[in-house]
Amino acid sequence: MTQPGDGPAGRTAENRDDSSLGGILPRLPPYVLSGRSKTTDAPTAEGRPSEESAPSAGPRPFVITRGRVLGEVADIDIETQVSAVDAAGAPERGVETLPAESQEIVALCAQPMSVAEISARLRLQLGVTRVLVGDLHAAGYVVVHAEDVPDPRSPDIIQRVIHGLRALS
Amino acid sequence: MDFALFPDNTYAAISDVSRSSSGLGSTGLRRVPPVPVKIVIAGGFGVGKTTTVCSISDIQPLTTEAEMTEVSNGVDDAGDRYEKHTTTVAMDFGCITIDETLKLYLFGTPGQTRFNFMWDDLAHGALGAVVVVDSDRLNDCFPAVDYFERTELPFVVAVNAFDGHLAHQLDDVRWALAVKETVPVLRFDARDRLSVRDTLLALLGRALERAGGQA
Repeated sequence: MTQPGDGPAGRTAENRDDSSLGGILPRLPPYVLSGRSKTTDAPTAEGRPSEESAPSAGPRPFVITRGRVLGEVADIDIETQVSAVDAAGAPERGVETLPAESQEIVALCAQPMSVAEISARLRLQLGVTRVLVGDLHAAGYVVVHAEDVPDPRSPDIIQRVIHGLRALS
Repeated sequence: MDFALFPDNTYAAISDVSRSSSGLGSTGLRRVPPVPVKIVIAGGFGVGKTTTVCSISDIQPLTTEAEMTEVSNGVDDAGDRYEKHTTTVAMDFGCITIDETLKLYLFGTPGQTRFNFMWDDLAHGALGAVVVVDSDRLNDCFPAVDYFERTELPFVVAVNAFDGHLAHQLDDVRWALAVKETVPVLRFDARDRLSVRDTLLALLGRALERAGGQA
């Protein structure tokens, strides 16, 4: 018979090891540990316990991201909004001359769309999406709204988000 | 900033965006996009990050994928050699439309922490983070807590209480995670929209304090 406050069946208050919180050792903030490697591997999907890697033991993978560096638009974040230029303002060279993925991006951005949404809806890799929208911006087919936005972390914006969420029911 | 793209005289209108709540230019034709803000939903594998996003998102949650090419040193019988392989990292996300000028995105972190730089990408410019914790597997959230402590971002620890059970009291969770007193540690139900909302509000309260505003 379980009591309130018990964990899942089989783990009652009596079973709990109060000295170490059920076998869990408290987290030591990184600054407390000396000589510890900077990254710890998280448990994998199979649930193996995390490794406390010995300092600089063994090879350490480094990662190369695909895609070239964008020169055209700085700071394209995943939430950055992209909107298509309407036909009247678009380049003379029509959209139909662009590669298929680029055409799809322009079509999708008839409504403002985040880079992440473009990536997800068109099933394009995030890195590829950034490159393509940057190119489309440079060519004049879309506007990437990376610099013309107010700082999202201003008190004014935060308060607006708070008020909006409070209104949810 | 190049706004010569627009045929009518809406260049001036765009610079008025911050003063205009309607987001429309002088001709009414200009589509000014909403300001996007984001909150990161972090935590270990299977703790309920996607459930959290699903519960409150206006849109059907989506998944964006990033492909990483990893090069690692492998040591085999022949001595050092390089191995190259690609991994796809997936991030679930949703969106809440606050109003026509403001959208809140919720991005879930990928499960694998060896892609910490992806967390950098997610966290860049974010309002803050919610570190979702499964109270049966506290260890799983240590990497996320480590990460957000190192950043400047406000964050909260949200213990996902499955079926109303909490394996440990919140005070014990706070002790085990060794987070500062200023970091809220709270319980929530990832499946419950209003519970998720209240968790986001707790984070935003912290963010507002840090930004120097009044709640």
